[in-house]
Amino acid sequence: MYTFPKGIYSDVRIEDVFETKIELTDGRLDEIKEKEYKGAFIRVFDGKRWYYSATSDIEGIQNELDELAKLADPNDEIENHPVVKKFEVNQGDFCEFMGDKDISSTHIDEKKNLIEAYTALLKGDKTISSLKSYYVDKRKRKSFHSSKGARLTFDFQMAGLRLSFSLKSGEKLFSESYDCASAAFGDLKNKDKEIKERFNQAVEFLNNAQDIQPGKYTVIFSPLAAGVFAHESFGHKSESDFMVGDETMRKEWTLGKKVGADLLSIIDDGNPAGSGHVTFDDEGTRANKTYLIKEGFLTGRLHSAATAAYLDEAVTGNGRAINFEYEPIVRMTTTYIDKGSKTLDELVSEVETGILVETIKHGSGMSTFTIAPSLAYAIKDGTVAHPLKISVVSGNVFKTLNEIDGVSDTIQLHSFVLGGCGKMEQFPLSVGFGGPYVRVNNLDVQ
Amino acid sequence: MIQEKYTINSEETSLNLVQTQIESVRKKNITKTGFRVYKDEKIGVSGAIGRYDEQEQWEKAEKALSLNIAYPFEVSKNLEKSVEKTCDFADGLAFSREMEEMLKVLREKHPQFIFSNKINLVTDTVTLENDKGLNLHSKISKIEASILIKDKSSSDLMDAFMGMEGTQWDREEFLRMVNLTCEGLEKSADIENGKHKVVMIPFGCEFMGKLYSELHGLKYGTGGSLFSGKIGEQLFCEPFTLYQSLSAEDGILSPFFDAEGTLNKGDRYTLIENGVLKSPYTDKKYARQFNLEHTGSAGGAYDSVPSLAPSPLVIKKSERTLKEMLEGEKVILAFFASGGDFTPEGKYATPVQTSFLFDGERLLGRLPQLNITSHLYDMFGKDFIGVAKDSFTSLFPMHLPVMHLKVEKI
Repeated sequence: MYTFPKGIYSDVRIEDVFETKIELTDGRLDEIKEKEYKGAFIRVFDGKRWYYSATSDIEGIQNELDELAKLADPNDEIENHPVVKKFEVNQGDFCEFMGDKDISSTHIDEKKNLIEAYTALLKGDKTISSLKSYYVDKRKRKSFHSSKGARLTFDFQMAGLRLSFSLKSGEKLFSESYDCASAAFGDLKNKDKEIKERFNQAVEFLNNAQDIQPGKYTVIFSPLAAGVFAHESFGHKSESDFMVGDETMRKEWTLGKKVGADLLSIIDDGNPAGSGHVTFDDEGTRANKTYLIKEGFLTGRLHSAATAAYLDEAVTGNGRAINFEYEPIVRMTTTYIDKGSKTLDELVSEVETGILVETIKHGSGMSTFTIAPSLAYAIKDGTVAHPLKISVVSGNVFKTLNEIDGVSDTIQLHSFVLGGCGKMEQFPLSVGFGGPYVRVNNLDVQ
Repeated sequence: MIQEKYTINSEETSLNLVQTQIESVRKKNITKTGFRVYKDEKIGVSGAIGRYDEQEQWEKAEKALSLNIAYPFEVSKNLEKSVEKTCDFADGLAFSREMEEMLKVLREKHPQFIFSNKINLVTDTVTLENDKGLNLHSKISKIEASILIKDKSSSDLMDAFMGMEGTQWDREEFLRMVNLTCEGLEKSADIENGKHKVVMIPFGCEFMGKLYSELHGLKYGTGGSLFSGKIGEQLFCEPFTLYQSLSAEDGILSPFFDAEGTLNKGDRYTLIENGVLKSPYTDKKYARQFNLEHTGSAGGAYDSVPSLAPSPLVIKKSERTLKEMLEGEKVILAFFASGGDFTPEGKYATPVQTSFLFDGERLLGRLPQLNITSHLYDMFGKDFIGVAKDSFTSLFPMHLPVMHLKVEKI
């Protein structure tokens, strides 16, 4: 399809995108649109430096490739360069969302009717000061061609909705939301009960939440919060681009090192359906399941071809870009904590004084991780008690991983269509996360 | 029917740094165009990335009127203005050469540190024009640096951050700022738990989030804001004045108009004046719906219906220099404080991942990881000291805020 310049490695990624967005405020239509566009990202590597170009001119890709090649210094041995040797050569059509499964085949009126019906469930409730409703979907069909011979077509699809409600009762204020997402539009139906339950939880929180007494607590994270905890506390540190050229980090992150409690296993896997699903990454590498921590031991990390070559490890399918305007960098896919053996009731019953975090506003992770809870509850004498207002839960990552002393026996994986993961300039990337309920001791709660 | 075109072109040379070397060069030149038509108090929008058939796009926008999205507001008209800000670099090649030279100096002067991430040369051109005489044009070329600094012996992902967004390049000043930071990282310092004067680096510390959420026009108008119904009331201390700003004087390098073509005098709109709430930020819709002042804060994607979005909020500078505000004390410079938040009532807590002991000029040593806590009404009330009238660097406006906060070592 393309004439790849000699003496350099090059690849072309073309994204063919369909998107829908519907937005309502208090039931009134603010926005409804469908759009389709194409864009391409072109990479050239001469063994010393990468040259990239992002373009919306699909017809001009060959010209762009030739212009980039002029910047490079051709190298007859480029095929033997360690990075180039790491690139997989996959071929074929792996599209999953064709025909009726393609979200673009569902009429926009059906999408509008769905979000309007859910909005009607809550609209008019006296506790609500404002209600924002969103329906969003995206289908991205990617083709990938490389000078090594990769010829791939694959796709990604996600549809979802969010209902965000601001609540008010006298001087009391609280905001919460309900999110739901799936690769299949049909999975978004029949959510009335879940929406009402979340809304009722929020109203109960509004009316009864008490201030936290700052201090150290045992915290039980819900599957959603545990997923964010895994993503923020450890996932970002498993992205191995930070280790390139850094001997301290290479020593610090030696595989086989004990880094957490025996019952802790953390996995990143691009295979499960959902918002972290990738059939292939943006370098044409097939998705993998990578144990980052297995039973407390450091067992793996996430790679692009460049980082895999540098550390002489296998590629993992984690070279990802947020869209056609950016180069792939090492990113997570679906990250979760593996299940344990206890029930949630057992986890709670063993806590004299602690906190249950059900939903969160956001999280972050460096050497100190943070989780900003939304719906959180006190645990007293082994039972869940009143709601609690908390600014932030934080802890040192490595101390915290050793403070996990209970993991429940069922995993939930969560998907999203709004927001995502941010890493430097690239935000938001579609990722998934989840896990079981996870109990952690000695976290700082403010 | 009124036709309006919104064009956003972004041209960029982006250098990715790995190990204090340029690892890659990325070129981008992408145009996104929105087509809006207004008729019978409705708006229809279509959009295209890259090349397009103009007639086809107007037809799509007109067809979108049938979606019945209300827009019963006066479209901006009879207004022409063009602002262009040029940058010190003529092109990406000159930019790349200079950054190669600068990185060579960093490698020689700071072998103990690794510098990584991005330095970009960006030109953003935004035009909003309609057939009612509106023609607003902004072209801004700027240098954006977001460089991570890591001590080679550190096991953190990063130890500090050097950010800039400006039109002027001054290699010596950039290197002075980097030197200052590295010197601070090379030493350790300590403080006692308690209430301290804290200087915040605005681009590294998320302490303004509650102001953005509570001043949102919809939230205010529907009664869901802490500030609802309090226009005219003294909420904060006298020295606290807050602008919605698109002003280059405040370090904002954005178009001087919002997505509805609204301009403000001096590119600012005062939301809080001497501690008194004047207005939440609004677009045309919420200004009318809630009978609020229209502050010109509409945003949205190139192909969206314009909607309320926050412009940068900037605290007014005081009449005192940073040194005058510190009064000879050694204080805390919070360099990077991320991940914290406010409770619904305004209680604030955040970890401080990177901070230094600071005398107003030099970073005297890195402090251990800290927690800082306060309350919205205290940090901008009785505990607010002010924003320095002098910029901490000549690279771009960087006026540092100072306040008393409760500090605890983690």
